[in-house]
Amino acid sequence: MNHEVDLVRDARRRGKGVVGIYCEFTPRELILAANAVPVCLCGASNRTIPPAETVLPSNLCPLIKSSFGYIVTNRCPFLMVADLVVAETTCDGKKKMYELLAEKQPVHILELTQKFEEQEAFSHWVSEVGKLRKKLEKTFNRTITDDDLRKAIKDMNHERSLLRSAFELGKEDPAIVTGMELAELRYRVAGDPVHLRMLEAFMAEARDRKKHGKFAAKKGAPRIMITGCPTAQGTTKLIEVIEECGAVVVVQETCSGMKPLDIQVDETGDPVEAIARKYFQLPCSCMTPNKGREALIGKLAKEFKVQAVIDLVWQACHTYNVESFLIDRFVREKLGMPYMKVETDYSDSDRERIKVRVQTLIEML
Amino acid sequence: MLTAGVDIGSRSIEVVLYDGGQIVEAITAISGAAPAENAKKAFFDAMLAAGARRSDVVKVIATGYGRNYFREADAVSSEILCHARGVAYVFPQARTVIDIGGQDSKMISVDGNGKVMNFVMNDRCAAGTGKFIEMVGLMLDVPLDNMGQLTENSSEAREISSMCAVFAESEIIGLTQSGTPVDVVLRGVFRSVAKRTLAMTGKVGLQKDVVFTGGVAKNAGVARAIEQETGVRLQIPSDPQVTGALGAALIAYDKMK
Ligand code: SF4
Ligand code: SF4
Repeated sequence: MNHEVDLVRDARRRGKGVVGIYCEFTPRELILAANAVPVCLCGASNRTIPPAETVLPSNLCPLIKSSFGYIVTNRCPFLMVADLVVAETTCDGKKKMYELLAEKQPVHILELTQKFEEQEAFSHWVSEVGKLRKKLEKTFNRTITDDDLRKAIKDMNHERSLLRSAFELGKEDPAIVTGMELAELRYRVAGDPVHLRMLEAFMAEARDRKKHGKFAAKKGAPRIMITGCPTAQGTTKLIEVIEECGAVVVVQETCSGMKPLDIQVDETGDPVEAIARKYFQLPCSCMTPNKGREALIGKLAKEFKVQAVIDLVWQACHTYNVESFLIDRFVREKLGMPYMKVETDYSDSDRERIKVRVQTLIEML
Repeated sequence: MLTAGVDIGSRSIEVVLYDGGQIVEAITAISGAAPAENAKKAFFDAMLAAGARRSDVVKVIATGYGRNYFREADAVSSEILCHARGVAYVFPQARTVIDIGGQDSKMISVDGNGKVMNFVMNDRCAAGTGKFIEMVGLMLDVPLDNMGQLTENSSEAREISSMCAVFAESEIIGLTQSGTPVDVVLRGVFRSVAKRTLAMTGKVGLQKDVVFTGGVAKNAGVARAIEQETGVRLQIPSDPQVTGALGAALIAYDKMK
């Protein structure tokens, strides 16, 4: 995180723009093409929740509250230097939080349309992506050419494929990497060469472990998939608990895992449309219908030899919470695997109780 | 050859020694400020009482919140699995276990061998748990031990609509202010607790026999309310505390075979 702060400050000094984002729907390609640094502002600290609750209702998801806590306390080092925040119409809590944020900082909203398989919805989304391009041009007073976009698409595809290869180390059986190690590979900032080198180094080390038979967990350790809400550094309680119980989180289907990496941007054709198409296929519970999530879970379960699926629902995240009914049924009936939902927040108060449930599930395998 | 189950809970410790046929020894101790040490002492006390040496005990399984800190254990096991196994030993006909403790409630389905088939646990809020009932008791000035008896003959129940401890409190105040008798309020509370608990059956089903355990099982009012809601007679163990340790000892024995 310190490195990321330095990186953003340094970019600033060199006259680069900084754009804050809160969601995997944001096309980072456009921001990179505008010669700006996209940085994720999602809150991952329990400490900023009490200040957020002076304004927001307490029965809101901890991710929104924590993010907003950084806003009201002016403690976010990235937000302080951001020229613009790009946000989407995903869940209701976030949407309304952005209105409060917009009183302090320039915010640009991308409108996501439901029923993504319909042509009108897609055309609308393409025009939204086009409007973001214009907004960025205006903010940074420069033209974003199609060639700029094509280069950014290549760079982001490369970054995604590296991260994906790193996450795919989770396929190894017996495990050579832990879920905690994989969770630490994500960066708040996109397009940073240091990050890319770190990923390469991690993969080299993992290959070395494999060569020397150094495994990350006991032989036969149960292989778990996490689906649902995203985690971040600082909110990995569930992964920690699962691995303390002797299992390994081999893959996350979430936005902190494979979800945003599954589909790449087509490098041919109209770049704006290609970008729009990639992001429109993100299987997030805020969209209806969201059948893509089941398909992705099914695919990952097979590829990573998963034995049980644990659904992480941040408290008061209604979309993931309701969708869990469908995921539960899908996992049990279609994949024939145990499924468990864990509804929790950023606090540590329920750690032991979650552990009881996780250990029970694991022992039952 | 003996096996041992040691259940280290937040309040008490139970130790059971098992010889493959019957319970050789069962003792209870207080967890106190040093649960791991007290558990060790209880474990050795149990062996002393049974006239057994440490080497006679071939496998020790620890369960409960303190399970990971007990050095004498060869393995740990989840308290849900141990509890269910212990209950099924006492009630071989059991297929469903409803457990309402101080801070959580669980519903477990088991097969004929005490193996857990499925379970649900409500662990995120105190609604419908022992803590909630304790709070209601304090508000209405009714000691926990009297609750069941007090509602035995009341014919009416005023259900409360919210199980959130905070909202329920104001709702109950409203009821008593408007002159609703205490027994009617209490019966309503029990019925709400029963419904809330039974909402978990959606996931695991409610197959007979149904055994009711946990601290709240001692409250005859709640037990009656569950029976009325389901039309099923509940089995309630007379010594429910020891089931976790017993289950751990049984699981330890299975692993030796
Ligand atoms: S889960 Fe949905 S709302 Fe959250 S970051 Fe992912 S795409 Fe955005
Ligand atoms: S976890 Fe759910 S409620 Fe929270 S920000 Fe993401 S989609 Fe919204």
